[in-house]
Amino acid sequence: MHLPSYLLSLFLLLLLVKAPLAQAQVVNATITGQVRSATDRQPLPGATVGVPQLGIGTITDAKGMYRLELPAGTYTLQVSFIGYETITQPLTVGRTNQELDFRLEDGGNMLQEVVVEANTLRQKLNTNQMSVEQLTSTEAKLLPALFGEVDLLKTLQLKPGVQSGGEGASGLYVRGGGPDQNLVLLDDAVIYNPSHLFGFFSVFNPDAVRSVELYKGGFPAQFGGRLSSVVDVELNKGNPDNYRVTGGLGVISSRLTLEGPLVKDKASFIISGRRTYSDVFTRMLNKANEGSADYSPIPDYYFYDLNGKFNYKLSRKDELTFSSYYGRDFFKFSDASFKVGFDWGNTMASLGWRHSFNARAFVNTTVSTSSYQYTIANQIDVFSLRLRSDIQDFTLKTDFNLILNEKHHLKIGAVATNHSFTIGRLNFDGDDDRFSVATGNSFGAIEFGAYVSDDYEVNPLLTLNYGLRFSGFSNSGKNYFGVEPRASAKYNLTETLVLKGSFASMMQYIHLVANSGASLPTDVWYPSSPNVKPQRSQQVAFGASKLLGKGKYLLTNEVYYKWMHNQIDFRDGANLFVNDSLENEFLFGKGESYGNELYLEKIQGRTTGWIGYTLSWTYRQFADINDGRRFPNRYDRRHDISVVLLHKLNKRISLTGAFVYGTGNAYSLPVARFAMQDIEGRTASIVPIYSDRNSFRLAAYHRLDLGLVLKMKPKRGESDLTFSIYNAYNRRNPYFVYFDQINHETEKTPIAFKAKQVSLFPVIPSVTYNFKF
Amino acid sequence: MKLPNTLYLLLLLPLLAGCNLQKDIDVVLPPHKPVLVVEGYLEYGRPLRITVLESSSYFDEPEVPLVPDAKAFITYKGRRIALRYQPHADPVYNKYYTHRSDEIMTGQPGDMYTLDVSDNQGRKVTATTTILPRVPIDTIEWRFNEKEEALLLTSFQDDPDKANFYRYVVHRDSVEKASARDFFVNDNLTNGQRVSIGSGYNYRKNDTLIISLYHIEQKYYDFLTSTSDAKNANGNPFAQPSRIKSTVEGGIGIFTNLVYDRKMVIIK
Repeated sequence: MHLPSYLLSLFLLLLLVKAPLAQAQVVNATITGQVRSATDRQPLPGATVGVPQLGIGTITDAKGMYRLELPAGTYTLQVSFIGYETITQPLTVGRTNQELDFRLEDGGNMLQEVVVEANTLRQKLNTNQMSVEQLTSTEAKLLPALFGEVDLLKTLQLKPGVQSGGEGASGLYVRGGGPDQNLVLLDDAVIYNPSHLFGFFSVFNPDAVRSVELYKGGFPAQFGGRLSSVVDVELNKGNPDNYRVTGGLGVISSRLTLEGPLVKDKASFIISGRRTYSDVFTRMLNKANEGSADYSPIPDYYFYDLNGKFNYKLSRKDELTFSSYYGRDFFKFSDASFKVGFDWGNTMASLGWRHSFNARAFVNTTVSTSSYQYTIANQIDVFSLRLRSDIQDFTLKTDFNLILNEKHHLKIGAVATNHSFTIGRLNFDGDDDRFSVATGNSFGAIEFGAYVSDDYEVNPLLTLNYGLRFSGFSNSGKNYFGVEPRASAKYNLTETLVLKGSFASMMQYIHLVANSGASLPTDVWYPSSPNVKPQRSQQVAFGASKLLGKGKYLLTNEVYYKWMHNQIDFRDGANLFVNDSLENEFLFGKGESYGNELYLEKIQGRTTGWIGYTLSWTYRQFADINDGRRFPNRYDRRHDISVVLLHKLNKRISLTGAFVYGTGNAYSLPVARFAMQDIEGRTASIVPIYSDRNSFRLAAYHRLDLGLVLKMKPKRGESDLTFSIYNAYNRRNPYFVYFDQINHETEKTPIAFKAKQVSLFPVIPSVTYNFKF
Repeated sequence: MKLPNTLYLLLLLPLLAGCNLQKDIDVVLPPHKPVLVVEGYLEYGRPLRITVLESSSYFDEPEVPLVPDAKAFITYKGRRIALRYQPHADPVYNKYYTHRSDEIMTGQPGDMYTLDVSDNQGRKVTATTTILPRVPIDTIEWRFNEKEEALLLTSFQDDPDKANFYRYVVHRDSVEKASARDFFVNDNLTNGQRVSIGSGYNYRKNDTLIISLYHIEQKYYDFLTSTSDAKNANGNPFAQPSRIKSTVEGGIGIFTNLVYDRKMVIIK
C-alpha cells in the first residue's frame, strides 16, 4: 500500500486535523526501530532508548517500537530495560533517517524477573497517558494466586480504582463501571466473556499472554464502544530463533506452550493450551459412591482454552500476525429426574498487517472475528430442550500513525463491525407436533467508529493530546451516532512533579443482559434498538505524580468524576432467559461515580511493590427502582486498599505477599416477612419482603495471600516451584447472606429466624511446578 | 425460566459443602411497620372465607400475627357481604381462615367479586377478582421406560384469543395430601396450541394420580411468580431480589378465584 492512496481513503478524517500534512517537515534525522529480548525475541515495551548527553530519550511502545528525533552529530546511544544488559553504542546522525533494532541480553540473574512494572518510574512520571495500569505476565506469575492459577485480570484488581465483583471473581469493576463496560481486547479483537466459571478464572492463559494494559480513564481516541475501561491484552509472539517448551502443573489445571521459528528470521509460531482436571476426580468419586442413597453426585465440570499466534515478516516494512483463541467450559449433571449439559465459550481469530511507509508513518490493519455462545441442552426420553444465545462479530480495523514533526504525532483510524446476535433461542421438541416450541430473537447490527488524535508537544513542559471519535450503530432500521471528544494534558511542574488531566466522552452500543453480581455464562449481549438507547458517559480526571526518595518511589494521586447516562437495569423478577420481549424487562436510568485513587509504588531493588488506596462512591438512579431514589451500586466500595510486596531473598528465592481490604458490597436483604398458605395449607411458607435495593452492606472484605517462588536448577532449561497460600489467615469473607428459618424438631413449625453468612474460600495452599526448556 | 440459576447453584453447592463456611451473623433491620396481608381464594360451591394477617419484621418471634379488629366485606353483584372474624381451620386442606361468611360462592365466568378489609389503625386493603372459565383437560397419558417408571403427559387446548395462565398440580392418592408436583405457566410460547405438560419418570404402576389444571388470572400468576422469586432470592447468590406483586391495593396478598378441571388416573 502507498501512502497517498491510504491518505486518500481517509481524507475526510484528515480534514479534521488542525495541523495539515503540508506542514510536515523533517527538521532532524529520525532514528526508529524495535527493542527485543535477545532470549526469546519478544518485543520489550517500556525500554528506554536515548542519548544521555543531549538529555533526549524515549520509551518503546507496546510493540517495542521507538522513535527518536536527533540533530546531526555524533553521540552515544543508550538502550536499557530493567533486568537486561544495557547497550551503549556510538551513533552518527546525518540528514538521513535510520532504522536500528536492538536485542537486549538477559541480565543473568535468574530472579531478574522480579520486575513489577515494565516502565521505570521516571518514564511513568513523564508518560502523557494517565489512568493506565500496565502488567506483564512475568509479574502476575510471581504473585500468590487462588489454587495457584495465575490470573492477570485478578492481579489488575490489586490496582487502585479497580475492584473485584466478589470472592474469587476475575470481573473488573473500574471506577464504578460494571464488567459489561470493559472493552476487553486480545490482539485487537474483542473477547466478550473473559472468564471461566463464575469469573473464578479469566480466559487468559498466563503462558500465552505477554502483557496487559488497563485504561481507566483518559481513553485514547482509538478506543471506543465501552464506557468504563479498555483491557488491552497482547499475546506472546513465538520465539523466532529456538524451539521452546513452557508449561506448568498445578492443583486444578496444567498448561503447555510450544513456540519456535517456522522460517529463519521471518516466521515464528506459538501454541498454548490449558485444561482443568477436577472432573477426573469428581467422576471417580461419583463412581465410587454409585448406588449410595445418601450421596448426591457432584456435577462434571471442566474448561480448556487454546491460544495460537503466528508471525510472518514479509519484508522489513511489512509484518503479518495471525492470532487466535478458543475456549470452552463444560458442565454436565444427571440424576434420576434431571439431566442437563451446559457449555459456553469464546472463539476469536484475527489477522493483522503492520506496514511501515517510512520512518515517520506506519499503519496497522486488522481483520478479525470473535464470538461468544452458550448452549444448555436437556434430554429426557423423547423430549429435548435446547437453549442457546450467542454474539458473533466480523471486524475490520485500521490505525494509521503519522509523525508530522517533532511536535505533532497524528493518529487516524477507523473500525467497522458486523454484529450478529442470537438471544434466548429455545427449541423444545418431543416425538410429535404436540411437543414443539421454538422461540428467540435474532438481530444483525453494524457498528463503526472513526477517529483522529494528535499528540502535541507545546513546549518541553506541556504536552497535549486531543482527539475526536465519531461512532455509529445501526439495528432494526434505527441509527445512532455519537461524537466523542477526548483530551488530555501533562505539565511538568518540576523535574519530579507532574500534573495531568483528562476528559473522555464514551459511547456503548451493546449491552450485557445480566442481573447478578457474578460473571455468569448466561449473561448475553443485547444491541441498541429503537427502544434501547446507547449508553453514554463522560469522565474527567486530574492527577499529580511525584518522584520521591531520589527516584525510588512514585506517588500518584488521581481524582475522577464520571457521569453515566442510559444505564440499564431490570425489573424485579425479570425473566432474562427465555423471553421474546426482553426489552420489556429493561429499565433505563443514570449513574455517577467519583473518587480518589492514591498509589505509591517502588519497582527497583530487592523489595518492590505498591500500596493503593481508593476512596470512591458509585450510584445508580432509575425511576422504577427504589421509587426513583438513587441507590449505591452493588460494587460501590467506599474504601479499597491493596498492599503488594515482592522481596528477592536471594538468587533462587523470592517471597511475595498481597493484602486487600475493601468495604463490603452493597446488598439487598429482606426486611420483613409474611406467611403464605397458598391454595394448600400444607405448602405454607414464609415469603421475604425486600425493600430498597442494595440498602445493606456485607461485612468488609480482607485477605492476605502469601507466595514463594523457588527457582530450581534443572540440567536443562529452567524450572520453579511456586507456592501460594490464598487467604492465609483464613478470613471468612462474605459471599452472600441469607435468612434461615429454624424449625421445631418434631412439629416442623418455625421457632426462630437467623441471618447466615456464607463464605467461599478458606485458607487454600497450592503449589505449581513451572518449567521451560 | 429459572433453569440457569438452578444450574449455577448445582455448580456452587459442592464447593460450599466442601468448605462448610457458614456462620450466624447479626443483621440490624430497619424498623418495619406491619401491613395487612390478605389471602382469599374463591371457589365455586364453597363458603366465602379469607385469611387476614399482618407482616412481621423478619426476626420477630414466629407467631401468627392475627388482626382481630379487621373488618372484611366481599361485594358481589352490588351486595356487600360481611365476613365475620372467626379464626378456624379446615382440616381437609389443613388451612386456616380468620374471616368467613356462610354465603356460598356462586359466581359464573365473567362475574366480578370485590374485597375490602380495614382495621382500627386505618389500614385498608381492596381487591377484585373476575371469575374465569374452566379449561378442560383433554387427555392424560403415560409412558414407561425400561425400569417400569412412567412419565405423565397432560394435554389441553389453549385459547388463542387471550393471554392465559395456568397452574398445574398433581397429587398422589388424595388431594388432602401435599401435592407431588405444582407449577404455573403462561401461554407466551404456546398461544392457541394444544399444550402438553410432561414430567420426568416419577411414577410407577398402580400409582393413583389426581391431576388438577387451574385456569388462573394474570395477577395471580404474577403474585405466584413474585413470591417464588422472593423466596428463591433468599439464599441464592445468583438470583435477583424481587418485590411482591400483590393483587390487593393497600397491603400485601392475593384475592382471586380458583377454577379448575380435575381428573384421577391409575397408572396401568
